[in-house]
Parts: sequence; C-alpha cells; structure tokens
Amino acid sequence: MNRKKDKGFESPRPYKLTHQVVCINNINFQRKSVIGYVELTIFPTVMNLNRIKLNSKQCRIYRVRVNDLEAPFIYNDPTLEVCHHESKQRNLNYFSSAYTAAVSAVDPDAGNGELSIKVPSELWKQGDEMKVMKVYIEFSLDQPKGGLHFVVPDVEGSMAERAAHVFSFGNQNSTRFWFPCVDSYSELCTWKLEFTVDASMVAVSCGDLVETIYTHDMRKKTFHYMLPIPTAAPNISLAVGPFEILVDPYMHEVTHFCLPQLLPLLKHTMSYLHEIFEFYEEILTCRYPYSCFKTVFVDEAYVQVSSYASMSIFSTNLLHSGMIIDQTPVTRRCLAQALAQQFFGCFISRMSWSDEWVLKGISGYIYGLYLKKTFGVNEYRHWIKEELDKIVEYELKMGGVLLHPTFSGGKEKDNPTPHLHFSIRHPHTLSWEYYKMFQCKAHLVMRLIENRISMEFMLQVFNKLLSLASTASSQKYQSHMWSQMLVSTSGFLKSISNVSGKDIGPLIKQWVDQSGVVKFFGSFAFNRKRNVLELEIRQDYTSSGTQKYVGPIKVTVQELDGSFNHTLQIEENSLKHDIPCHSKSRRNKKKKIPLMNGEEVDMDLSAMDVDSPLLWIRIDPDMSILRKVEFEQADFMWQYQLRFERDVVAQEEAISALEIFPTPASRLALTDILEQDQCFYKVRIQACFCLAKIANSMMSTWTGPPAMKSLFTRMFCCKSCPNIVKTNNFINFQSYFLQKTMPVAMALLRDVQNLCPKEVLNFILDLIKYNDNRKNKFSDNYYRAELIDALTNSLTPAISINNEVRTVDNLNTDVRLILEEITRFLNMEKLLPSYCNTITVSCLRAIRMLQKNGHIPSDPSLFKSYAQYGHFVDVRIAALEAVIDYTRVDRSSSELQWLLDLVQNDPVHYIRHEILSMLAKNPPFTKAADSLLCNEALVDQLWKLMNSGTCHDWRLRCDAVNLYNTLFGLTRPSCLPLPELGLVLNLKEKKAVLNPTIKSEQGPGGPEVTTTSTLEEEHVVMEPAMSGVAMAPQGLKRKAETPLGSSPEPGQVMQEEPSAKASIKSKFPTQEEEDIDMDTVHDSQAFIYHHLNMLERPSTPGKEPSSVEQAMLSMPGTPMPTLSKESTSSKHGDHHHHHHHHHHEHKKKKKKHKHKHKHKHKHESKDKDKDRDSHAFSNSPASGRSIRSPSLSD
Amino acid sequence: MADSVVMGSGSLNSGSRSGSSKTSTSPTENYQLARRRTLQVVVSSLLTECGFESAEKAAVETLTEMMQSYITEVGRCAKATCEHTARSTPTLSDVVITLVEMGFNVDTLPVYAKRSQRMVITAPPITNAPVIPKALMAGQKRTHPTYIPSHFPEFPDPHTYIKTPTFREPVSDYQVVREKAASQRRDVERALTRFMAKTGETQSLFKDDISAFPLIAAKPSSIPYLSALLPSELELQTLEETDSSEQDDQTDTENNPSSISQDDHSADKENVVLPPGGVVPAGKANEENMIDNPYLRPVKKPKVRRKK
Repeated sequence: MNRKKDKGFESPRPYKLTHQVVCINNINFQRKSVIGYVELTIFPTVMNLNRIKLNSKQCRIYRVRVNDLEAPFIYNDPTLEVCHHESKQRNLNYFSSAYTAAVSAVDPDAGNGELSIKVPSELWKQGDEMKVMKVYIEFSLDQPKGGLHFVVPDVEGSMAERAAHVFSFGNQNSTRFWFPCVDSYSELCTWKLEFTVDASMVAVSCGDLVETIYTHDMRKKTFHYMLPIPTAAPNISLAVGPFEILVDPYMHEVTHFCLPQLLPLLKHTMSYLHEIFEFYEEILTCRYPYSCFKTVFVDEAYVQVSSYASMSIFSTNLLHSGMIIDQTPVTRRCLAQALAQQFFGCFISRMSWSDEWVLKGISGYIYGLYLKKTFGVNEYRHWIKEELDKIVEYELKMGGVLLHPTFSGGKEKDNPTPHLHFSIRHPHTLSWEYYKMFQCKAHLVMRLIENRISMEFMLQVFNKLLSLASTASSQKYQSHMWSQMLVSTSGFLKSISNVSGKDIGPLIKQWVDQSGVVKFFGSFAFNRKRNVLELEIRQDYTSSGTQKYVGPIKVTVQELDGSFNHTLQIEENSLKHDIPCHSKSRRNKKKKIPLMNGEEVDMDLSAMDVDSPLLWIRIDPDMSILRKVEFEQADFMWQYQLRFERDVVAQEEAISALEIFPTPASRLALTDILEQDQCFYKVRIQACFCLAKIANSMMSTWTGPPAMKSLFTRMFCCKSCPNIVKTNNFINFQSYFLQKTMPVAMALLRDVQNLCPKEVLNFILDLIKYNDNRKNKFSDNYYRAELIDALTNSLTPAISINNEVRTVDNLNTDVRLILEEITRFLNMEKLLPSYCNTITVSCLRAIRMLQKNGHIPSDPSLFKSYAQYGHFVDVRIAALEAVIDYTRVDRSSSELQWLLDLVQNDPVHYIRHEILSMLAKNPPFTKAADSLLCNEALVDQLWKLMNSGTCHDWRLRCDAVNLYNTLFGLTRPSCLPLPELGLVLNLKEKKAVLNPTIKSEQGPGGPEVTTTSTLEEEHVVMEPAMSGVAMAPQGLKRKAETPLGSSPEPGQVMQEEPSAKASIKSKFPTQEEEDIDMDTVHDSQAFIYHHLNMLERPSTPGKEPSSVEQAMLSMPGTPMPTLSKESTSSKHGDHHHHHHHHHHEHKKKKKKHKHKHKHKHKHESKDKDKDRDSHAFSNSPASGRSIRSPSLSD
Repeated sequence: MADSVVMGSGSLNSGSRSGSSKTSTSPTENYQLARRRTLQVVVSSLLTECGFESAEKAAVETLTEMMQSYITEVGRCAKATCEHTARSTPTLSDVVITLVEMGFNVDTLPVYAKRSQRMVITAPPITNAPVIPKALMAGQKRTHPTYIPSHFPEFPDPHTYIKTPTFREPVSDYQVVREKAASQRRDVERALTRFMAKTGETQSLFKDDISAFPLIAAKPSSIPYLSALLPSELELQTLEETDSSEQDDQTDTENNPSSISQDDHSADKENVVLPPGGVVPAGKANEENMIDNPYLRPVKKPKVRRKK
C-alpha cells in the first residue's frame, strides 16, 4: 500500500493526535467494572474540522466534551452483528465479505471509528487557526467481555488476598475495548496514564511511574504514569493486582510482577533476563528505547506473551522453579520474543497492516539470533528447519501466505488470496493459524534477506531504523517527525538498499509480494563416462500454495575427495544440470575423506556404488529458499549423510528419508547416531522414532532384542542389574531428553500380531516401578508423564467380541497393568500435584486412548469434570481434547452442544479459543461427509456465534469462521433444507453458473477512490453480499436435476436486457462474474432488505441521491442480467419472465425501502442526515473523504 | 500371713472381674472366692459380737473391703520392712513394726485375742492352691555362678538379656534395595490413594464395577495455578537435600540471590504493608540506596495532608 509512496506517512484522519490522558478512577473487582475518562489532544489538519471519529467498543460513554463544550456523539459498531438476524443467509462467503466490510467501516487506518463526535459549531467555525482541541470522554465498562480480563478467584478474603487481578489483552489493535482512542498502530502520541486502585494493589502500565499518591481516605492510591515516547494506542496496556514486586537485581530499572506466593518462581525465572537485554542491545547497538521495563505475570492470559510499550504481560504458567527442565527453554524463548517486540512492534510501530510483516519479521529474526547465541547453532538450524517445514506444510495445505498484500483497486478481482475463506485485509479478519504462519514466514524471509545482504548490513539497517526512531521520539510534536517511528515496507526496503547497495527486489517480489512456497523434486544419475553428475530438479508450481522459482540454487555434493558447492541456475526450461565431479570413482587407497567443515574422517565405503564417487547430495543446504525438497538418492547415501554430514538439518533430512528404507544398514546407522553423544539431541530423538518405524517394517527379519532396548539399558540402567534403571540424575540434559523419549518411541514397536511386544511393555512398567527421583536435583514430572505417554503408545485396539460392553472382568491383563499405573498416577496427582499437572495431562490422554481402543467403556464424563473451570489450564485443554475426540468418534450431539456452550460461557478466553481451534482440527464431521450432527440448528448456532456471539474477541470470531468453514465449507451448508425457490443471478454471462465458489472473499471498498456519484458507493455496499453468495456446488446439482429440459441459457436472458447490461458494463468494467445463489424468495428478499437496512442505518454513507441516480443505483445492487431458475418445484414455462418479474420486484422493493428510510430519518433530527452522511458505516474509504464532500460542509 | 494377704488382694481383683464377666470359674478363682467368703464370715461374726442382729449386704461388703485392705496393707508393709533388712521372709517383728507404724496398739492384741465371747470360725475350705501357669521357657536358664548365693533370684530367661545377633546378611545387594524401595513406595502410594479414594468422592472408568480402579474425583480449585506451579513440599525437601550436598557449586550464585531476596522483602513490605516512611533495614542501607525503583518508593500522601 505504501510501497510506492516514498514520502512520509499520510494520516487518514483530518487531525493529528499528540497527547492522550487515560484516567481510570475506579476499578471494581466485585462488579468487574471500570470507570474513567480520556482526554485526547488533537491538532486539526483541515479547516473546519467538524467531526472526529474515534474507536471505542463496549464502553458506555457518558459524555463527550470538546474544549469544555458538550459535544453530541454517535456510537455505531457494525461488527457487533455482522449480518442482520433477519437474513437467512448461511453462506460463509457472504459472511466473510460482510465481516470485512464491517471491520473496514470502523478501521482506524482508514480514518473510521465506532464513535463519531460532532465538534460543536462554536469551535469549528474558528477552525482556521488550527487550534488545539481537547476531546474529553467519560466512560465506563461493565463486565467487559473483551479488552480487559478480570480474574477474581472465588475464595474468602479481600480482593488482594484472593489474588484478584485485571489486565488488558487483545488481538492486534484492541485497545478500543477498554478506552476510547484512535486504535491504530500508526497514530502515535504521548501518554499520561492514571489509575486509582485499592491500596493493596499495584497498577502496572506503560511508561514511567512518576508517583504514587494516596487518596484522601488513604484507602486507595493513584499510580501516575508518563509515557513521553510517542506510542500507538494498541501498545498501551494495564495490569492491576496484588502483585509481588521484584526489582531485577542486574537492572534496577526493570521490575517484575507476579501473583502472590509465586515470588520464588519469579526470582528464578527472571534470573537470566538481563542476558537477553544485553544481547539485543549489543547486536542492535542501541539502548533499550524505554527508560524502564516491566514484566507482569497474570493468570488466564489471552496469549502467552504480549508486548506493550515498556511492559510485557505473560502467562503466569511460564513461571517455573529451578527444578524444572523442560519449561526453562520455553520460558526463555517467550521472554526473548517479548523483548524483541519491545524494539520492533512497540517502540517502532507500523504504518499500515500490510507493513506488519516487517515488524514481525525483524522481531522474529533478532529473536532467532538470540536463539542461536543462547541455545547454539544446532538448535538454531533445527528451529529454522522446523519453521520452514511448518510454513511449507501450511501453505501446501491451505494455500499461500501473503506477507505484503496490496489492495490497489479494491475490486473483487484483485483479491490477493482467493483461496482463503477469510479476508487478509485486516488483522481482525485473519484466522489465528494463518497469522501464526504469517509471523513464521516473516522471520524466515528476513533470514533470506540476511543471506543476501549479510548479517552486518542487516543489523545496520535495524540500527538505522532504531536511531531514526529514537531521534524522532525525543522531538516534541512536529508534523511528520513522529512518523519516523513507523516502519513501512518501502521505507525498510529503501534502508536496505541504502545500507547494502544491493538490490533485493526480486527476493521481495518472490517472497513478500507473492504467496506460496516452492516445491522441488530432485533426482540424479551419475554418468561414469563423463564423470558428471546429472542432476534433475523439477518443480511443482501448479498446486495450491506453490509458486515457481527462478534463480540460483545451491547444491552441495559430497564426493570421495571432498565436499563441493555448486550454484545452479534454475531457469524456465532447464530441468537437467550437469555437475562435473572432482574425484574419480576409483577407490583410493585407504584415505580419509574430507568433509565440508574441514574435518577428515574414515569411512567404511563398502556400501557405496563402486562406479560412483558420490557420497551424498544436498539441494539448497542453507535453506535459502522457502521450499520443500523431495530428493531421491540411494539408501546408503542417506546413511552416509546421516553419519557423516555435520549439519543437523542434513541429519534430520536423512532420518526422515531413511524411514522408507527398512534395512539392517539403516538400523545400524540410526543406532550409531543414537549412541553418539556428540550428536545433537534432537536428531537423536528423531532417530528414535525412525528406528521404531523401521523396526516395525522389518518385523519379520528383526533379530535381537526390541529396538533401543539394549541401548537404553546400556545408557540408563544399572551395570549390575540391567533390568533396573539408575536413580534419576538429569544433570546432563541431552541424555535426559533421550531417556525421556526412548521409551515413548519403543512403545510404538509392534510384533507380528500388531501388538506391542510383551517385553517392551514390561520394560516400560519396570521403568515406572523403579523410577526413583530422590537423589535428583530436578523434578521428574516430565519424565513420568512421558512414561505414561509410552504406555499410551503401547495400546492397540482391543479384540472386540460382537460389541460386548466393556467390563472390568474381560479386561486384558496387560491393559489391567497399564490401567493400574494410570489410576495410581492420577490419584497421586491429587495428593502431590506435579508441575503444570503434566502427569494428569498424560493420564487423561491415556484414558481416552484406552476408551478409543475399546478397552474400557467410552465415556466423556470424566473428561468433562476435568474440563471444568478451576482446573489448571493444561489439564482443561487435555480434557477438552478428549471430549472433542469423543464427540467425533461417538457423534455425540450433546457433547458438541456442551462444547459450544463452553465456547460461549467459559471465563477463560484462551480455553474458548482452543475449543474452537481443536474442533476445527478434529472436527466432528466435515463438509465432505454426511453426519447426523450436521443439522439446521447447529448451522444456526454457529452462525449466530460468529455473527454476533463473538463480537468481543476478534480471534474467537475468526476461530468460529474457521470452524464453520471446516464443517460446512464456503457455501450454503448442505444440511439446510432444499430451498423452495432458488435463483442464480449472474452478472456475467454463460459459464458463471459453473463457476465455483471462491472468487469473492474480498471485501468491498478498500482504497478504491470513489469520486462523485453515490452510485459507486452504493455499489460497493452491495458487493459483499453478491460476492458472498457464489455458486454452490449443490446449486449446480440442483440445476442438473431441474425437470425442465430447457433450462434457460444465461445468454438468452441477457439478451432480454441488453441495455441494462450494457450500462452496467460500462459503469463497472471490472464488476464481473457475480453469482448469487438465492435459495428462497425469502432469502433474496432478506438479502436485499439487509442491504437496504445497512443503508438505513444512520452511519451509512448515503448522500441523498437524486431519484434518477437512485434508479440506477439499484441496478448493480440487484444483480440482474442472468437469471437462472433452479427450483425443482417450478411450474412456469417461461422462466425468464418469471425471474424477470422477480427482479423488478426487488428493484421496486428496494426503492421503496430507500424512500422509507429517507423518510424515517427526516423525522429523527435535522442533524441526523448529516450524521448519516459523514460517519461510521461506510464500506468504502470514500467515506473517509466524505468529510470534505460538499454536502457536509454546510 | 503375707502370702494370704497377697492372695486376698488377688481374689479381690479377680472376684470383681468374674462378677462382671460371668465366665466359668477357674481353680484360681475358686480359691480366691473361698478366701473372700471366709473374710465375709469373719466380718459377720465380728458384727454379731458387737451385737448386730442383721446387716445390709452392702455394709458387709464395705466392711469386708476395708478389712481386706487393712490386712493387705499390713502384709505389704511387713514385706517391705523385711526386705529393708535384707531378708526375704517377714518375721513377727516385721509385722509388729508394721502395726505400730499404722498406729495400732499392739499391746491390746493379746487381750483381744483372749476375749471370752470370741466366736470360732471354721477354717476356710481347702481348695487347691492355684497353679501358676508356667511362664514360657525360652532356652535354658542359666544357673548361678558359684559366687552368687543360691537364695538370690534365678536368672531370667536368656532371651531377656542375651543379645541375639539378628542381622542376616546386610541387604547390600543393589537390586534388592531398589526392588524393596520401589515396592515399598508403590505400596504406600497405593494404600494412600485407595484410602483417599475410599474416604472421598470417586469417579469410575467402568459402569459395571464402580469400585474397580477408583479415581479420586477431580475437584476444581479456585486458584489452580498455585498447586500446579509451586513445587510440592516433597520436592522442596528433596531439593534441599540435594542442594546441601551440592553446596560447593551453589555458593557462587547463592551470594547474589540472597541479597535480592532481602531487597525484595523490603520491597514487599514497602508496597504491601506500606510504611509511609519506607524504613530501610540498616544492614542493607547501602544496597537499598543504590536501587532507585519507582515501585519501591514510598507512597505519597495526598496533597492536603502534605500542606499541613
């Protein structure tokens, strides 16, 4: 969006915000309410500023004053109910576009907002002096559902004793949920924040705590914060609670807060934060931009980590004591992420949503550098591979992820992501999964840029951005100076080219402006005569989520004489590449083989092909392309690669490749890796699972004890009595992780009857029995949990004798043993709970597995009790996962209902989100299959959930959309009753009927510049609905079934209205291919009514059109030219006329409504018309400009 | 005499016992009952001598009791006196001293014994002296060595004083130790959880047999993160143990955290208890001054007050 503009930032608002005061006078934990006021200092940038649009959601606004004059205001939030309830539309396309329209209508980046304040005329008449305006808004929040989260445990005592606390949260810019503001990342201002809280509480917020003052009654105190660094409202946060305070011993300006009783954990957890600080400050050669930093750990957190200006809010579950191994790296990573976002995300903000990738990319990239430094290069490369695999898998499955979407024309056709069921136009319409992948891709692309321009330049660019920003931040407000603190894609790219002098245009074009990944298939042949390696690299660029790659690719060939890098050029038509080999295939005398890293090793070359000097080949070893490589080479080559290549990525690739080569040689290679303690532990862990798979494939020829058993015995059991494991000593983490994993992998072994070998089961039971942690410095909770996981893995389906009821008596003896262990573990957890209740979690999974395999009766009640509010969150998630699985397997509608009720009512936002995303991952049914569960009531319920039930949480709403898509698909759910009368309206001719669904996600409006006529504006409003109802496949089917042999050719219909069509075509050259699947007359009426209704709302941008205009207006609205009738019940011979008739009816109806609505508003107030003109629900940015339009200037 | 007294006391006890628990009378009890009956006869005759025509049963019983106590006391004291002079059998003089001690005028005794209206009481019926059941004999009793006079009590049974080496091979076999520790722990855990399951609410995996594999019911807690995050006491204990054994490598880090903990203790105090003056512990004054953190600063009083 801003790519082309090299100039500074242009605000979409007719004013500039410079300072905002937020004062919260009262926080009532009992009633969960908040009272306060805000005061915004703004400079109008236009003459006659008469209207101010701000963002505010769910706040009750008592009064608004502008410069001490009472100002009328209007509050309108179209996102509360996306589609109006009278609409019978149940089509996701329709919803998505309506939702996007609604979000756009209040998007601060387009100058919109829910709250529209009319500047008192006394003020705007003298506006030419550009005087400062102070907008004062009193508001309150009562039981907020979003924005602020109250945690009030139900125990005795005062609120402080109960550890009651409240904190702000949200997905992206969600500050509007708790105070009125300009909720945009691009509107920076300085802040003064005041919070009056109970004397036993602490209020932690952004900026410097200037002073804390008691109220007169000494029962409360007021925290005064100043934030002199210009900051966007979404980066403001608050946490209030009876926190324990820890001043960082290394950095006194850093303060940590946790809930009562957790101080010892906080001390331990925070003991290494200073290292992260030092690291970032060093690589960025820039001091931490804020004068202080605060970390707050809260319960029931929305996300694990959220960063705000000079403070971060974390989940309290990240805290851990020194005895916990597994959580430590996880928590450190979270801290490092939070801190990286302090620099890029909080201090440096973004110009627009399409620049988000730069911030996420840079923060993710420097976080990666921290990982490399702290956890080592192996861990870093492993992580990069993991992230790469993740993004590749996602894009291949779901379609491309686009980092920098451009919405140039705003027309339907320009939708950059037609494959998605949601719009990527706004952060609030994105699926959570997509956003996670977006972040993942962003940092990978930053790494690609680093590969191109070198890390040194990269860091210089970051430093430049930061130093520009910090210079700007210290300035008093001057026009455009603060916009230096906003990063844009173009600005970032410009810095790169300035600093490095390199052109990274093609790279950006490939990975940033375009979605998709590259899919390579490689194979090779060795030409002995020419001593040449003939490499063939093919690409699949036609499947979804892929793109074509043209450019250099690195290939590393390990030969007998050494390792050689070759850079090949991938071109349009060349698949084959000849690479000359350096060594002769003749076997040299016993000679060491040099590796890439200069090491020389002895190898047993007997496995090799005598004629070929090739040991192994790697394509793109540095992961400098976002790609998936499927490479074919012989098994012995993979084995050499596994044993001798020192890069962990290569080793991991070799391991996954070896899965399809179940041979003794593979077994040996894997076992050797397992035993080598020099080898990276995650590679060894992966080798465990691969070995289990291979062992199962080699079942008939396998000799010796079960795979890994003797290895485990040798490594972890007593010398004198090999059946007893040593007492735990986890001081060596690598072997700890291996010790944990090996039993889990071993339990996957199967014998000829496809059962877990008795020997293995007994072995695991013995591990549990002899587990002794008394002498260990570390907790063994994760280890024990994994032993239970091992038991779970050992389960195989029960032999069922004609569906008998599972009873205790017919329990298999092995299962009885397993069940006894699980029972004991689960009961012990009640007496001595383990850290994060890991053992309960594993036990619940095990019980579900027992149920699923038919060993014990399938019953969700146990899980439901563990899923209740009041259990530890991990336990709840595990229990819910089991209930969801039960719902799918047993097709239980009551459980599904129970889950959906929880989604609506659970106090914890994270749980609600997880239920929906787990349901989408493990759906009770899908659009592909019929299910009894799929019925109209469910459709309605889910529809309601995403339409209005989740308006307080963007993330949850998108989750609901996701689930709806999984269950019913984009089009009308198949379980809805067949419509009595369906009509397909088509704006394009002919084949449109066959045109499948997706072309219409995109919302209307966008940056489209509508100029004069309201016609276009109107059109824009209409668009979402029309596009939303693209042809359903079943519509097609119905059509085929139509008893009338001569179904009307769309073309024929067209001919009946040539003039109409022509006029439309001329007006909307891009408006094509619009299908509408109207299921019933009612639907179509509702549809039209809906749109009229939208117009009717006071916020709708509708300059009163002349009646002539209006007549034209309605035309695009009611899609006309192609009408094809689908109703099976139709008895009319002449369809066209019939439809035609309908059509006209709609038109008339619409007109009527329009008039009515006009009428109505005249009644209301004389101001109303103006209101309607100017603010809020405009689906096009034109409304942003409407302020300047003549009708408003009065 | 002493003998009979002792027996009398014995009969008292057993008499009351047999009265309450109506068991068939053993030879011992028979013997004691007979003695007691004789005593009653004595009491009755003495009453007759004093001129009573009849007496309530309870009164007779009380008097019998008193007499028996008196005789017992005389016997006991006589025995004590005799033992005091290193003899084992009481003599007449012992009894006399006892009587004197108890405030009885011995001189009146011969006169009383020779009084005219003295009633003659038939001798108690001869019953077999109770057979003292043989104590369990374990091993051969040792005979006295030559230097111990034979009248000294016999040695007790050897098991009461001889140390028997009971250790089998000390169980140093690693396998056995581990085995034992494991099964012990498992047994304790199982017993404990079963107990908890029996005494509280349970959930069951089977519908047909609710008692099989009982699971302690899941109870939501109001602050679930506390138990999930804080290490249990058991773990803390082990941590201390291991820490003390590894103190060497801990000392370096220990120095710093200790100062931190001090710091934030005072931090807590200031912020939670809120002494307006912000009293700084004297010892830590230097360090405290170094830390200038707004959250540690004292809370100011409202302006009105400050004006005062």
